[in-house]
Amino acid sequence: MQIIELGKVSNSGVMKVATGFVWDWAFVLKMLPLLLKGAVMTVTLTACAITFGTGIGLIIAFMKIIKNPVLNFIGGIYTWVFRGIPLLVQLFIIYYALPMVLGITLDAFPAAVIGISLCGGAYIAEIIRAGVQSVDKGQMEASMSLGMGYFQAMRRVIVPQTYRRLIPPMGNEFITLLKDTALVSTITMTELTRTAQIYSASHFKPFEMFLTAGVIYLILTTFFTVVFGKLETKLAQSE
Amino acid sequence: MIKVESISKSFGSLKVLDNINLNISPGEVVVVIGPSGSGKSTLLRCINYLEKIDDGKIYIDGKLVGKKEINGRLVEAPAKEVYKMRENIGMVFQRFNLFPHMTVLQNITEAPVLVKKVSKQEAFKQALQLLEKVGLDEKANAYPAHLSGGQQQRVAIARALAMEPKIMLFDEPTSALDPELVGEVLAVMKDLAKEGMTMVVVTHEMSFAKEVADRVIFMDEGKIVEEGPPSQIFTNPSHPRTREFLVKIL
Repeated sequence: MQIIELGKVSNSGVMKVATGFVWDWAFVLKMLPLLLKGAVMTVTLTACAITFGTGIGLIIAFMKIIKNPVLNFIGGIYTWVFRGIPLLVQLFIIYYALPMVLGITLDAFPAAVIGISLCGGAYIAEIIRAGVQSVDKGQMEASMSLGMGYFQAMRRVIVPQTYRRLIPPMGNEFITLLKDTALVSTITMTELTRTAQIYSASHFKPFEMFLTAGVIYLILTTFFTVVFGKLETKLAQSE
Repeated sequence: MIKVESISKSFGSLKVLDNINLNISPGEVVVVIGPSGSGKSTLLRCINYLEKIDDGKIYIDGKLVGKKEINGRLVEAPAKEVYKMRENIGMVFQRFNLFPHMTVLQNITEAPVLVKKVSKQEAFKQALQLLEKVGLDEKANAYPAHLSGGQQQRVAIARALAMEPKIMLFDEPTSALDPELVGEVLAVMKDLAKEGMTMVVVTHEMSFAKEVADRVIFMDEGKIVEEGPPSQIFTNPSHPRTREFLVKIL
């Protein structure tokens, strides 16, 4: 047994703290490639969820904004359902329950992407709808009085005015999507959280694994914070 | 040029327009006055069909506005026809409603290029002429947020004129302005009137009405209470309600 001073790192990369807990740097370094591999999956899932979620969000927002009672209703039902049921339950339904009912078996990856995108889409739809409807009514009236059609006015006058207001809530939503990918660890997706779970259990090092995973998540979410912060200042300047 | 035939309009149980009849000839300047809530703005907004009417008919140049007659029955006209009709009617709003993400020049050229398919070059040329006319040629590349209220409203007038409308509607164009900025907007409107533009103006500027209007209409509770030349309405109103209103604001 080595004798190590509190707070100092020994030759084998072990650090002792007051409770007697020993932080194992060597283990962290050894596991880092596996965690990073999990992180790559997390990023892939996030990228897919953002792409499809934004696509769904645009379509649903459109359905809720235009003057068509049927589409309004469908859009309303969509957000009601996918925003109202916990993502975890949605994932379980898609991955575990649907195969039993419909006989469709989805792999974990498509199931995960579908689940997060459907749910994220509901939130993004609400963000876009609120953004478009926050534009002063007079803008549409002015456009109309100039002979523009509804879609011309939307495209040229209304929607461009929403970009800047959409940046902060969209940044928020993307960060939420990224963190929500942790939930798909429950449907056997080996992303960052599940990787940390597996190896913390097998080596009984939960602190090292989960803290490192947490730091990796923080680095990833910081990326969005920085990018969206930059976007916001850039759009603010152009106004 | 504008013929309003017994139109009515309600918002819920509130009757904002109650059997309005009105005829406006080409080149005429009609000023609509009345207390707030009397239906003046709604009447204006019905003329270019920003507001649908419950009953009655509106004709512009003999053409039915917003409706179509099929087998003797009135049905809603297709949206495209309404858009087309609006090209002939310029409108100026109380709150200017300039497009904040576009420069002054873009504000003016947007509709001619998008709707009338005028070439960008031609639209720019025309926009600069219009800006000169409203005295703002040096502000062509400014954004609306950097202009005073009076300047914004003059740009809004230029923007409406860029579509070369036959009729101009003004919905309380000076009500949102600081008092010292009212004059510059009225001056532009006076010039327009002199050029023979057909104008319907909802305003509280009685001096403008006296000086420029061919006819003044007094509205109250959704009805036209009294109309006539300004000399008559302002000096010798026949209806007690007109008198009451004028006493309060003059």
